[in-house]
Amino acid sequence: MIVETSALVKRYGPHAALDGIDLHVPAGSVYGLVGPNGAGKTTLLGILSGLRRPTSGTVRLGARPGRIATLPDTPQFDPWLTGREVVSLAARLAPPPAGATTATSRVDGVLAQTGLADAADRRVGGYSRGMLQRLGLAATVVGEPELLLLDEPASALDPAGRREVLDLIAQLRGHATVVFSSHILADVQEVCDRIGILRHGRMLFQGGLEDLLVGRATPAYRIRLRTGADQAEALLRQQPWVTSLRSDGSHLIVGLRTVDEAQTHLAAVLAEAGAKVVSLGPQEAQLEDVFLELTS
Amino acid sequence: MTLWRLEWLRLVRTRRLFALLTAYAFFGLTGPLTARFLGEILRVVGTDGVQVQLPDPTPADGIAQFVSNASQIGLLVVLLVAASALAFDARREMAVFLRTRVTSVRSIVLPAYAVTTAGAVCGLLLGSACAWYETTVLLGAPPAKAMLAGTAYGVAFLAFAVAVVAFVAALVRGVLATAGVSVVLLLLTSLVGGLVRASTWLPTGLLGALGNLTAGRPAADYLPSLAVTLILTVAALAGAISLGNRREL
Repeated sequence: MIVETSALVKRYGPHAALDGIDLHVPAGSVYGLVGPNGAGKTTLLGILSGLRRPTSGTVRLGARPGRIATLPDTPQFDPWLTGREVVSLAARLAPPPAGATTATSRVDGVLAQTGLADAADRRVGGYSRGMLQRLGLAATVVGEPELLLLDEPASALDPAGRREVLDLIAQLRGHATVVFSSHILADVQEVCDRIGILRHGRMLFQGGLEDLLVGRATPAYRIRLRTGADQAEALLRQQPWVTSLRSDGSHLIVGLRTVDEAQTHLAAVLAEAGAKVVSLGPQEAQLEDVFLELTS
Repeated sequence: MTLWRLEWLRLVRTRRLFALLTAYAFFGLTGPLTARFLGEILRVVGTDGVQVQLPDPTPADGIAQFVSNASQIGLLVVLLVAASALAFDARREMAVFLRTRVTSVRSIVLPAYAVTTAGAVCGLLLGSACAWYETTVLLGAPPAKAMLAGTAYGVAFLAFAVAVVAFVAALVRGVLATAGVSVVLLLLTSLVGGLVRASTWLPTGLLGALGNLTAGRPAADYLPSLAVTLILTVAALAGAISLGNRREL
């Protein structure tokens, strides 16, 4: 484990921002920290990066001093510096390990990688919020750190920028360890191999994504009908094996007691309703469903 | 790109160095001028029938007029410039960038302190040179040794004032709060010095040294004040680093 915390508590007066957190992050993994606002994600990242001190508990970091890089959720820099100067300063303060590419080419490389090559010599004061986030990421990865602590790294980016950041994080897998917090659960589901769900300062779940999704979410079927939706809905509500029923626009999501019962009876109920079926299949468990189930 | 260059760029690109040099040069040029023509000015703006008689201005008056302005408005500019560099925790996101990349805030504080002090000292030297020249032209040459010694004492005071800002910046977060608390601390020091007649033992005593030395006071009178100033400067910087390392973001 490159990051391990034990019974970590952080109190602000009577309020416990973190309440007995045992965090385990394997080296080389991409770890997603999710939770509603005020869950303690930023506090936890702040303690791991040394910006805050825990009230009690222990933190053990496997990364060497100077090999940990932190990116805040809304990175800001002196507006009179250029993008290249910011990344050069970051490279100077936390240089890549010996034997890595020279500082200048490394700076140019990360600026290009984060899509800032053309704006590198412009002053940061004229950057958009998305460009500042890219610049923050460039300054974070330029030193080739062993551990990256990223707080909402894609929150201010447009879809294309978000895709680039996610690709960049995915590329780091195996070379560095990434711990990142996010509200965008699809991002976490896409790039993380481990996940921690926080709520009110407590860790509700921690483990592999598969472990979380398999068997957690209520089994459901996803049905798309061309006609007869109202009649089918009325009949389905009468079935004892249907636990919930909701529409997400073009589809009906049928919550089930067991998948087996749906496989036995669902087709017959739809036929009885006279519905014309376009598609029908089990609903794959989504992180969002499990997240809502755990945190609600 | 190093933290030293960062601080130099902060002074140059934000025109803070220009502000420092301009403020001191302005007072250096206008102080002796005011001293030379104060009598005429009062006669022009005076009430009819009231005659104000002033003794003929001396070179010491020209320098004293510069010191009077420089130690108020000039010092205020120095404190504001220093606070903008040393209150680096004022914006959390900017502080995170620096703090997570150094092992001790010493690496941030010392370049910010040294470069800001150097900028302030350049301002004082320029202002003193202007005042010296202007006084020589208008009122006669002030004693060179007194000018040099007085300016050196002024440099020591500025180094102390910037160190006070560094210390205060580790206690409060905002730039204006840092500058404001620093002003209050220096004012209180000056008041205490006046009340207990200990100005020659306090750093604020050095503020008027340039004016007093050109008026004939011995330079050795300010040595106790210089010693205390140097000790307090080192203590303030050590305190700033110690408190800064313990501060949470």
